[in-house]
Amino acid sequence: MSQWLEKVIGEAQIQDYLAPVRQQALTQLKTEGWPARRNESWRFTPLTSVEKRNVNIATQGHDAPVPAIDNLNAIDLVFVDGVLITQVNGLDVPAGMSITSLNTDDSDTQQAVASVFGQVKPTRHLFGRVNDALCQHGIFINVEAGADITTPIRIVNLATQNLDAHTRVVVKLGEKAKAIIVEQGVGDVDSLTTAFAEYDIADDAHLEHYRFAMFTGAAKQLGGSHFKLHNRSTLNSTMVGYGSELSRLDVDIHHAGEFADAKMNAIYLLAEGELFDLHSTIEHAMPNGTTEENARGIVGDKARAVFNGRIHIHRDAQKTLAELNNRNLLLSRRGVINTKPELEIYADDVKCAHGATVAEIDEEALYYLLTRGVPRSKALVMLNFGFIRELVYDVPNAAIRDWLLPILSERFTHMEVK
Amino acid sequence: MSEQIEQALERKYEAGFYSEIESETFESGLDESVIRRISQMKGEPEWMLEWRLKAYRSWLEMEEPDWAHVDYPKVDYQAISYYSAPKSMKDKPQSLDEVDPELLRTYEKLGIPLHEQEMLAGVAVDAVFDSVSVVTTFREKLEDAGVIFCPISEAIKKYPDLVKKYIGSVVPRTDNYFAALNSAVFTDGSFVYIPKGTRCPMELSTYFRINEMNTGQFERTLIVADEGSYVSYLEGCTAPQRDENQLHAAVVELVALDDAQIKYSTVQNWYPGDENGKGGIYNFVTKRGIAHTNAKISWTQVETGSAVTWKYPSCVLKGDNSVGEFYSVALTRGRQQADTGTKMIHIGKNTKSTIISKGISAGNSNNAYRGLVQMGPRADGARNFTECDSLLIGDKCGAHTFPYIESRNPSAIVEHEATTSKVSDEQLFLCKQRGLDTEKSVSMIVNGFCKEVFKELPMEFAVEAGKLLEISLEGSVG
Amino acid sequence: MLSIKNLHASVEEKNIIKGLNLEVKPGEVHAIMGPNGAGKSTLGYVLSGRDGYEVSEGDVSLNGKDLLELEVEERAREGLFLAFQYPVEIPGVSNMEFMKESVNAMREQRGEEPLSAAEFLKKAKAACKQVQLPLDFLKRGVNEGFSGGEKKRNEIMQMILLEPSLCILDESDSGLDVDALQVVADGVNSQRDGKRSFIVVTHYQRLLDYIKPDFVHILADGKIVKSGDASLAHEVEKSGYAFLGKSYEEAEA
Repeated sequence: MSQWLEKVIGEAQIQDYLAPVRQQALTQLKTEGWPARRNESWRFTPLTSVEKRNVNIATQGHDAPVPAIDNLNAIDLVFVDGVLITQVNGLDVPAGMSITSLNTDDSDTQQAVASVFGQVKPTRHLFGRVNDALCQHGIFINVEAGADITTPIRIVNLATQNLDAHTRVVVKLGEKAKAIIVEQGVGDVDSLTTAFAEYDIADDAHLEHYRFAMFTGAAKQLGGSHFKLHNRSTLNSTMVGYGSELSRLDVDIHHAGEFADAKMNAIYLLAEGELFDLHSTIEHAMPNGTTEENARGIVGDKARAVFNGRIHIHRDAQKTLAELNNRNLLLSRRGVINTKPELEIYADDVKCAHGATVAEIDEEALYYLLTRGVPRSKALVMLNFGFIRELVYDVPNAAIRDWLLPILSERFTHMEVK
Repeated sequence: MSEQIEQALERKYEAGFYSEIESETFESGLDESVIRRISQMKGEPEWMLEWRLKAYRSWLEMEEPDWAHVDYPKVDYQAISYYSAPKSMKDKPQSLDEVDPELLRTYEKLGIPLHEQEMLAGVAVDAVFDSVSVVTTFREKLEDAGVIFCPISEAIKKYPDLVKKYIGSVVPRTDNYFAALNSAVFTDGSFVYIPKGTRCPMELSTYFRINEMNTGQFERTLIVADEGSYVSYLEGCTAPQRDENQLHAAVVELVALDDAQIKYSTVQNWYPGDENGKGGIYNFVTKRGIAHTNAKISWTQVETGSAVTWKYPSCVLKGDNSVGEFYSVALTRGRQQADTGTKMIHIGKNTKSTIISKGISAGNSNNAYRGLVQMGPRADGARNFTECDSLLIGDKCGAHTFPYIESRNPSAIVEHEATTSKVSDEQLFLCKQRGLDTEKSVSMIVNGFCKEVFKELPMEFAVEAGKLLEISLEGSVG
Repeated sequence: MLSIKNLHASVEEKNIIKGLNLEVKPGEVHAIMGPNGAGKSTLGYVLSGRDGYEVSEGDVSLNGKDLLELEVEERAREGLFLAFQYPVEIPGVSNMEFMKESVNAMREQRGEEPLSAAEFLKKAKAACKQVQLPLDFLKRGVNEGFSGGEKKRNEIMQMILLEPSLCILDESDSGLDVDALQVVADGVNSQRDGKRSFIVVTHYQRLLDYIKPDFVHILADGKIVKSGDASLAHEVEKSGYAFLGKSYEEAEA
């Protein structure tokens, strides 16, 4: 058991309406303890920087500058060091949706929250359990059936001090509802953020989702986004990961209904001694679902990228189509890429495929660029960044596309290219 | 249609008979005295005994691995007998005429005639029966070429320098739980040495047979191909049909020195247990080769037997320009569980590896590919290509793929692809419309699926493997 | 300008070019015709320096420089331009970014300052217009999702922007309808300035009605077997490659 986890357990206060989930998480934390060194889930991502950490949780919020995304025109919900500083009660929200704090006395809201809180996120995630037990600040977003909310909702986690932050987002999309939700995390101080979000997407609903895990430097982020897809619902998710001393994102997409469709693109660009670890699990529990996942990353300098992409087709999930593709480029001899796409299949009438590559350059494309006089080193940069750019082009929201491309391009040019 | 396929998948295990041969078998149990007795029975030098004891002591400290995608009751290592040999072997026969005729009949029944004149020309066989090697054929012809091919127990005495230098050099005593156990208690196996610049004049082959009840088989094979040499080695295995599980924990070490080539082919057909998962062999095997500069190691395996398989024939590509290959067909049915694959460790520059894995799952079985491709910081220009295809027959089985890829070199290229498919109704319809019955159709489709691997097998083995697959699928398809 | 002497080249150890000689002077347009498999496309790849195309014998010089000594991109900067028969798609790399990089590489070679973004855009727009490609092509990935005709026009647009001294057009007519062919030919003809030279590789005489050659060569089995003026192309048009012998006729069929 780690010193940090012991303190976390001591810190837990379990008395509100979410007690059953919190209690279960706490019990699991106590019985299962800290992962052993060879634990498969943390095999390539050492937790040494958390192990002996002190537990310091902010009680008071303060203002901090929120990074802008031009032309997004979103409703911003901001946590600073784990404290929700946005006055959600006073927000002007579009008709058909409501935004409330998880600290609510309203019993209907409590009931709605409880139907999602800890019900979408699997219990196996260590820091998810920590979040279950400790999170005191969180947001509940409810989109009514049939509502088409075109105003994006952005949730920002800012880490400004050497503190632990545990924030939670709970989203419920009613039948045929549509919403755009952006999760963003920023900060470079020696902080620890567990930001977990759970999405329950009802029949025929559509979620456009973004997660920008942009913590850097000494910040530690251990978060996750978890989705439950009901009949014919659709998810289009784009994730961007920067690396930091320790960055880990767990994503679960659970096809709980038939004919659901999930699309997920992930980009990671890592430099210096950064680490970014993306674990995604796609659970096809019901027939006729489709999933397409593309994860692409570039690793420079002494950075390490860890990717684990699992597709699990259950016995009943006949006629599933699932594809996962992971492409990586390593720019430096001191960097490391660990990738593991996994298939676990128990139904026979399915089409599943995964692929993973490291450092594959299309020789024909390179030749073409060279015949036009482009210097070899520039051509490599172009082609390398090209495969990231492809995923940016795929982003459905124009404002986000226009914001992402230059910042990723900027980050890339600072990475070491052979 | 898939029901029909499943019915057709119920087949018999043809090698499941037991031979009445008088044997000398140790009482079950394992401690240092058992290891001393094994060593004594084999008339081993002191250093070998010491080596075994060190392995045993490490093993006691180790834990049985549990990460594989297999599930089986814990093995009681004290309930196994660690040595069993036909009585007639006590004074080792000097020629085939002195070999117990029942034993020869056993091998004949398995389709492996040991009489040289009856054999396929060009294949030398070492036959290992429970814990001992019973006969090695064509030895003289091989000796003329300078090739050493003999039981490892004999090599320890006759070529101690070679054995001492290479044993444990590829799979260290403490490599893993089963390798440590094997190092402590191995009883026999084959030893091969191909001298510099020599192309082994014939295929070498070992047949392993577990016969006695409650015994484990712990063979150890060591193949050393000296600079610029070439050898092709085949391995086959069978066991009687029994209700108990029997343990097979072998170690195979290959050393390919500069410019040498080793081709190692396996057709594994241990008893898989019955339809309900009763009985069968636990096949926990460690196979690894080390390839020096410009050397090449090629593993080809056709795995159709065993209740549980845990096996990852691997290549350490140490020398620049060395090449590693892994071609595998694994068929599971009934309650069989297989977790098999390979490790390609790229250390040298411009090293290349190819992995082609074909998994076929039927019945209630689970079939997993597990692999590791590792590109070290020095492996400039290294390349790997991996293709893993799974075929599911029926909706009660599982097919899994767990590839680990690690790269630490910017100029190394790794490509991994995995797909899964089924024998489609359309394919079956087409075959049947052309006049084939379902069984033949499925076997044809499955054979087509495995073609890339079969073509890597030596001719005689390819035919055998095709037949084995056909038998395995027999009755499996209605 | 370009001088090819006794060129022998192979692909995957198969000899394709077997002793080819050709002299191209400034401002000349040479057409190379020949049956399938004669080595027409190979010639373009060998001259541009593609990997896997091995020169076993012979000399090639461009503007006095030994071409065979140079890397692919160095040859391009010496003024050699190859318009591909099947241009590759490069998703994620925009035409604009790509062309700006190459135009500036050419300028650097000529000792000129790189173009500013605005100057480049102006030039690129003009070139786009000239080959009748919509402006948003500049933003799209290189050849990504382009039709066959669009790809060919894109090649010509690149040629206009890069201002090479020698252009090799590899079957730039294949798969084009008459209108598209006219656009491509107009683009090429606009670049004929008395100094720039062209090698037009084609299977059919059709393209040569639009781009009038000064010389026509027949390439067969890796060698130039017959040379003449434009009338030779018409001869081929009328009677096919029959004069080369029976085996070629069969290859044609």
